[in-house]
Amino acid sequence: MGVVVKKVELSWLDRTYVWPVLKGMGITFKHFIKQLFTPTSKRYTIQYPDMKKVMPAGYRGLHELKRFEDGAIKCVACFMCAEACPARCISIEAEEFSDLNITQGFEEKRPQVFKIDMLRCIYCGMCEEACPKDAIWLRNDYEVAAYDRLSMQFGKWDLMNTYAEADGKARITEDPIPSAPRRAIAM
Amino acid sequence: MFLAFALITLLGALGMLLQKNIIVAGLFMVASFFGVAGLFVLLGNPVAAALQIIVYTGAILVLVLFVIMMLNSHEEEPAETSRPIQRWVSVVLSLALAAGAVKLVLASKGLQQLAEKGAPVPQGVTLQGVGAVLFANHLLGFEVAGLMLLAAMVGAVALTKRNL
Amino acid sequence: MDTLASLLHTSPALAWMVVKIVIVFSAVMLLASVWTWVERRGSAMIQDRIGPNRAALFGRIRIIGLAQLLADGIKFFFKEDLEPTDVNKGLFWLAPFLAFVPAMMGFAVIPFGRDFVSGGATYHLSVLDPGNGMGMLYPMAIGGLAVYGVLVAAWSSNNKWSILGGMRASAAMVSYEIGMSLAVVSIFMTTGGYDPAEIISAQGSLPWHWNVVPQFLGFIVFFTCMFAETNRLPFDFAEGESEIVAGFNTEYGSMKFSLLALAEYAHLMTASALVVTLFFGGWQVPFVAHPSVGLSILSFVVKLLFFAWVFVWIRWTLPRFRYDQMMRLGWKAMLPMSMVNLVVHAWLMSHGR
Repeated sequence: MGVVVKKVELSWLDRTYVWPVLKGMGITFKHFIKQLFTPTSKRYTIQYPDMKKVMPAGYRGLHELKRFEDGAIKCVACFMCAEACPARCISIEAEEFSDLNITQGFEEKRPQVFKIDMLRCIYCGMCEEACPKDAIWLRNDYEVAAYDRLSMQFGKWDLMNTYAEADGKARITEDPIPSAPRRAIAM
Repeated sequence: MFLAFALITLLGALGMLLQKNIIVAGLFMVASFFGVAGLFVLLGNPVAAALQIIVYTGAILVLVLFVIMMLNSHEEEPAETSRPIQRWVSVVLSLALAAGAVKLVLASKGLQQLAEKGAPVPQGVTLQGVGAVLFANHLLGFEVAGLMLLAAMVGAVALTKRNL
Repeated sequence: MDTLASLLHTSPALAWMVVKIVIVFSAVMLLASVWTWVERRGSAMIQDRIGPNRAALFGRIRIIGLAQLLADGIKFFFKEDLEPTDVNKGLFWLAPFLAFVPAMMGFAVIPFGRDFVSGGATYHLSVLDPGNGMGMLYPMAIGGLAVYGVLVAAWSSNNKWSILGGMRASAAMVSYEIGMSLAVVSIFMTTGGYDPAEIISAQGSLPWHWNVVPQFLGFIVFFTCMFAETNRLPFDFAEGESEIVAGFNTEYGSMKFSLLALAEYAHLMTASALVVTLFFGGWQVPFVAHPSVGLSILSFVVKLLFFAWVFVWIRWTLPRFRYDQMMRLGWKAMLPMSMVNLVVHAWLMSHGR
């Protein structure tokens, strides 16, 4: 069964072809003038290196490993994210640490190595969903690029510092000696 | 100037004859026509030169090349068994044509005028002049040629388009 | 002019000739290359995009992207000159020149300003002086040669798509040439001469006496045919990304491609110069009976650029015609229209108008 095509009856003016062409030229010229006098910031095109798109709130970009105020990592190395990851790009090695003075006898876990292979990551956000401690966030940075494959293996300190500049926080490169019980801070 | 154009004409014609590839031969023919057009300009007849280029190189040869490409015969056809008599007949015919052309040129009024000293230099031919001559002195010939072309066109259409 | 001539140890006439040739052809080439940029930028604006604006001189001076044409030129110049294995070598090399030379040559008879008298001699502002006997036949003859560039490029590439593009483009050019010629003939008739200088001076300085007004039909036919002649977009049959790759220049790269592309724009310039000369009074300035030389040149250039822009503008307004549609338009609309135009004007002239 075919589709019934509705034929448009053209007026004689339209059938001269000259008038419709002039109309079309009018439309294109309108666009031309409009675009010509629109300031660069208001045009549809975002001129990328100079202008950057503001990402919406739910955007899943580069990961960040969250930290406590004193700089200690929130992650407890529970491996939930590594399990949830469909691309299997997260590899974690846990370590125990206990400082009896501070942790008050509790043994705590934290990742010694937390590695995300950014070339494999599909930015699905499952790790963020799975994390019981809200320790890993996917945030709005989309400029993940490097000159070689090795530098796309983001380690623990890379991941903790991904948004350091954007948030105005200090870059950290080692686990701080906690000054107060972790529980207290978490609560 | 004359030598250059004559050389272009002759070399073009020679190239056309000797070239095996039809398309290249056609392009040599274009060069040859160009030389002829240049000669027309030197003879003070730019209109003929322009018409030569418009009609021959611009239209007829394009169509010829077009047809050649459409048929797309890249390989040359082997010549049929050549008979020596053909060659002789062709030589005789071309000699007769050449003799006739030379005689015609020698007998023309313009050349005799050139031979006299102090004769007025013939003016360049203009399009108006061509039109006046064509429609006043040679009207019959013009109309007959037009009619013939029309008949040829109708014939071609009738031949190629079976079901009209 | 005399000082220049004495400097070069030649006659003023020869020096003037050389100056004219240099000015005209460098101007046309410059405009053609600028127009590659105008085309891209204009199309971008029409489509609400931005277009090439990032090329910069020394990485800093970014003149709204005008350095793009320099960058393009340099890029094309230094690209590897690739030559497919089965091409016809001689013709493959010849074709870009066959396309480029006629496109440039057509400009030679167009007067781009009014005559002026200096030192007792009259100087004409066109490469070929008026009264050369060729007149407007010359650009038409040269325009007919433009077919060869496309045809030879298409055939020598030894590529089916190339040959298809070249064939249909040349068929279009040949068929539209007839309508165009008839439109021009009716101008010859009403002017009573076929020299561009005569045509321009016959049109006078009043815009409603220019040939567009009495011969509007002729103008439409001529302008439409010019699109087919220059292979510009509504009748762009030499190329066609969706059906025949890039048409006749599929196999071309580097400088040869750049020559073919420049030829198109040079052709566009020549075509708009022809439109201006035939229908819009050439160098005549509206409402100024005896303009100064500079003003007349300015007027001509403004008109030329306007029509060159119209070519770009229409290209980005209309979609490409189908081949049979275009042929029907050419033979069943353009040819009868220009014939009607011719007959009507002949009738009017015979009744003493």
